[in-house]
Amino acid sequence: MRRSRQLFLALTLAFGAAACDEKLSSIAGPTPDLEPTFSSIQANIFELTDSAGRNACTSCHTNVGRNPAGGLNLLHDAAYDQLINVSAIQVPALKRVTPGDPQASYVVHKVEGRAGIVGTRMPRNGPPYMTDGQILILKRWIELGAPRN
Amino acid sequence: MNRSLARLFTAAALSLCLAPAAFAQDDDDTVLKPAEPDFTIASLGTNMRLPQNKMTFRLTHRFEGPLNDNGIGDLFGLDAGAQMGLEFRYGVITGGQVGFYRTNDKTIELFGQYSLLRQGSLPLDLSARVGVEGTNNFQDSYSPSVGLVISHRFGDAAALYVEPTWVNNTNTLPKELVDDNDSINLGIGARIRIRPTVYVIGEVTPRVSGFKPNSNQATFGIEKRAGGHMFQLNISNGFATMPASLARGAFTTDNWYLGFNLARKFY
Repeated sequence: MRRSRQLFLALTLAFGAAACDEKLSSIAGPTPDLEPTFSSIQANIFELTDSAGRNACTSCHTNVGRNPAGGLNLLHDAAYDQLINVSAIQVPALKRVTPGDPQASYVVHKVEGRAGIVGTRMPRNGPPYMTDGQILILKRWIELGAPRN
Repeated sequence: MNRSLARLFTAAALSLCLAPAAFAQDDDDTVLKPAEPDFTIASLGTNMRLPQNKMTFRLTHRFEGPLNDNGIGDLFGLDAGAQMGLEFRYGVITGGQVGFYRTNDKTIELFGQYSLLRQGSLPLDLSARVGVEGTNNFQDSYSPSVGLVISHRFGDAAALYVEPTWVNNTNTLPKELVDDNDSINLGIGARIRIRPTVYVIGEVTPRVSGFKPNSNQATFGIEKRAGGHMFQLNISNGFATMPASLARGAFTTDNWYLGFNLARKFY
């Protein structure tokens, strides 16, 4: 009897103690390696045309062979300094990225196509646009303070 | 989420589980205690012990139309769809039961409960409960829970319950995107016997820590015991009947929904 009690407890506790979390890749869609870090966003969003056909931001936001669209260069040597706490040219009241505040970050307004943006939703030749999951990951990086990580 | 608090709570629950038999008394589990006639209040569990090798069945039903929306026009919500659940429990050892519960949103909970203390020399009944909920027929997202059911019976007249439960993976987003992915529920409930076989019940499940969106779910009801059956009519502000869904809260405190539970003991 005592042994069966112990077995019952061991089984139920082992069962219950199995901690579980959703996988980030389950919402990252066409960029399964995307994480809420600057280096990951740089590699998977800014500089990558993803498997769904969304164009890389650096198709236009580059200083290679042209002036960067909107005055924003998103190539990896320049992107961070051009985003963080820099006023948006189209809506100067908003920063391109306001660390800790995705709602006050114009980049989020542009990729979500919110009312009040100037010009078109990004990417300008979309759809496809960034998926809801990709945007959530971008917003989380900003929410975490938009570190240079 | 305060992880140290969660670990402390889990450790306390595990410690209690590892030293159970010394407290257990082997009185007859087939004898009904009138103050605790069922295995659940409405959604929260009770300390009722299921005799070894016996089983029970329960049907839960929550109409999805708000009671106060169109009144008689849609028969107080009965014309809308419903969230239904079917539960089966089995007594595997003395004081220990396991169960299977599935709702028609394709969530399945597998759970076990073990009675640690019996009210008698001590003023409390106490059980440890563990469970895992899995969405999409237990294939997608899993939310394990560990909790205690603490109760006191006031003779044959009433029973009062306090049920702290830690639930993991309550936020449906990946942990990298959220601040809290665990919740601690503090279920509080009561059953009062107003006639020999008629009871009123009430329960509320505040989330005291961690992920706690929406409102706390509350349920009130009246029920009738008839032999091995229990028929309960209830009103609640949400459809949650499992620990993780209770942790995610009720939609609102403005809308209330009609529901019922039917239970049958096979002993």
